[in-house]
Amino acid sequence: MDYDLGPDAGELRKRLRQLISTHIPAGFLGACTDDPQDLATTESFCKLLASEGLLALAWPKEHGGGGGSIWQQTVLREEMWAHHEPRGPQYMGINWVGPAVMRYGTPEQKAQHLSAIAAGEVIWCQGFSEPEAGTDLASLRTRAVPDGDGWRITGQKVWTSYAQMASRCVLAACTDPEASKSRRLTLFLIPMDRPGITVRPIRSMLGPHHLNEVFLDGVQAFRDEVLGEVGDGWRVMREALAFERVGIARYARCESLLDRMRAELGDDWDRLPESIRARWVRALVDLRAARLLAYRAVSLLDEPSAGAAASAARIAATTCDQQVAELLFDVLGPSALDSGASAPLHGAIEDHWRYAQAATVASGTIEVQRMLVAHDVLGDHR
Amino acid sequence: MNTALPEDIAEFAAVAAKRLARLGGPSAALQAETDDRVRREARTTLTELGAFDLDVRSASDDTLAAAVLCQAAGATALPYPLVEELLAIDGERLALVNPETPRIDHGDLPGGWVAADLDGTRYRPQPGSRTSAKLGPFLVPATLSEPEGTVPAADVDLHLVLGSWRILGALQQCLEIVTGHVRTRVQFGKPLADFQAVKFAVADASVAVRGLHELAKYTVCRPEITPAQVRSADALVLRLRAADAARQVLRTSHQLLGALGFCDESDISVLDRHTEPLFRLPASTEELALRLIPGVRDGHLETLFSEPVATA
Repeated sequence: MDYDLGPDAGELRKRLRQLISTHIPAGFLGACTDDPQDLATTESFCKLLASEGLLALAWPKEHGGGGGSIWQQTVLREEMWAHHEPRGPQYMGINWVGPAVMRYGTPEQKAQHLSAIAAGEVIWCQGFSEPEAGTDLASLRTRAVPDGDGWRITGQKVWTSYAQMASRCVLAACTDPEASKSRRLTLFLIPMDRPGITVRPIRSMLGPHHLNEVFLDGVQAFRDEVLGEVGDGWRVMREALAFERVGIARYARCESLLDRMRAELGDDWDRLPESIRARWVRALVDLRAARLLAYRAVSLLDEPSAGAAASAARIAATTCDQQVAELLFDVLGPSALDSGASAPLHGAIEDHWRYAQAATVASGTIEVQRMLVAHDVLGDHR
Repeated sequence: MNTALPEDIAEFAAVAAKRLARLGGPSAALQAETDDRVRREARTTLTELGAFDLDVRSASDDTLAAAVLCQAAGATALPYPLVEELLAIDGERLALVNPETPRIDHGDLPGGWVAADLDGTRYRPQPGSRTSAKLGPFLVPATLSEPEGTVPAADVDLHLVLGSWRILGALQQCLEIVTGHVRTRVQFGKPLADFQAVKFAVADASVAVRGLHELAKYTVCRPEITPAQVRSADALVLRLRAADAARQVLRTSHQLLGALGFCDESDISVLDRHTEPLFRLPASTEELALRLIPGVRDGHLETLFSEPVATA
């Protein structure tokens, strides 16, 4: 038993930090800002990572990846999220769209999509949630009606992150409303510039680009754009999302912010109220447990217990996100509400607090995670 | 990285759990409150398991074996000061005490004692007599000599770590009991486990126990090159987390078992009453957190951003 991330983990971490400090401007808060330069920064950084074999680090080499280990991938995930995800929206293509195409895609789909993702040349979005189907995805209403050798898709998606930036979408639609829930859906790999697609941004406290509506009005879909088999979308979606079940390394962002805030405060840190410093300790304790739960989930790979382990890790990490957000707001006092370059840590704390509110909602609510853990513990008791 | 217990340790853990359970578990612990033979049998069993042949201070495999043995002791509410005897100094059991109000669990047992506080200051304790306490029925008040030097910081750390493994075992057993109860107890025409509020409470308790388990494994197998101050911070982190988890899981257990959980017929009651001293003493979670504050400043409370760059 050991908790060593591998002989080259330290070097990889250093290299990633070097690249970030050299190529990512101070005060960078991710691609989802009002400044279009931030998106451009992520695009050039993805290409840089790709050129060093670091973007698709854990992908097999045959698909343009680096052939790295799951622990190297873990280091990459931690360093990227700790530094406000300088890959921008492309992390999604790397983390689950690509692996899903590897498993379910046709040879033509693999040839078309994998090298583009590995090269850092494409942004994907995920067309799953709908106004009437959020957590309960199997009940979504967007219809794909047979039309010639393909389908016409009509409906509405909502909360679709990066839809304005994306050139491609993994779109879930109902191909057979009479079938059981598990056989109703089909996944399509659709270009976002196809006629009939309209994106409308939703203003939100999270900031621009996080939330969008996507309207689909008779959008044409071709047979060779189906990922997996027709009617098998629910299974593909569930299994594809399992590639990313550990989720983003929220604990790493929290530890980073606490570290930066402590450095920024210098000797003033010792003058913080004792109650605040004790909360600081507790936050670090909880973050360590969250990190170890994530490592446990990663180590279980495809074992049956991996799903519940990942849900436990997500519950721990997302609650830490909010715990740290509140702690840092209390540390800052009134200036916590300031945003922009002149705000503490260039606005990173204010940004974190806003984004942390979504931590227990996005990518599977904390209630769903609790249900999954409870099912693992309680089993089928009837 | 390999987060699973080595096979031989997992096998020893299974044997220890079975052997200690055969003593009678919490019901035997309850009997021990009035019958000293149970505590003597507990020691005999521990001896047969090879507990006191373990070199817990310097052989990493033996430390791990001691950890899983403590976990089994926690799960069965074993009425014996196992951690204290595993860390005996010159044949005298080592008790961690709060010097302001010294208490020693099982301090009435025959044999000598050494006491130390969390700073490692060593005392010669004079244990008093058992009281009729409900919480910590084997806890005895003690008086301490003037300080008599120190015990190694590593002993204090290991005491906290092994005690946390005992707490872990107790909490895992509580969760097991609660799970069985809510699956079978029918109210309003359906098992309690069908109610979402119950599911959520079980899930949160499970996350707390899982997190403690991972932290316990991580802490007990830190590499030998880890600086002593970091190891001390690690031990405090684990005990703080164990005590927090204990409060949460025991509260959930009582709530979900209802009145049954307060009765000594229920193992939850015994596990709770007998485990209380472990996570309340020698220091509250508030004090443990205060002790860790300097570790934030000087980096001994490690994070991903500690220098040098941590590899785990």
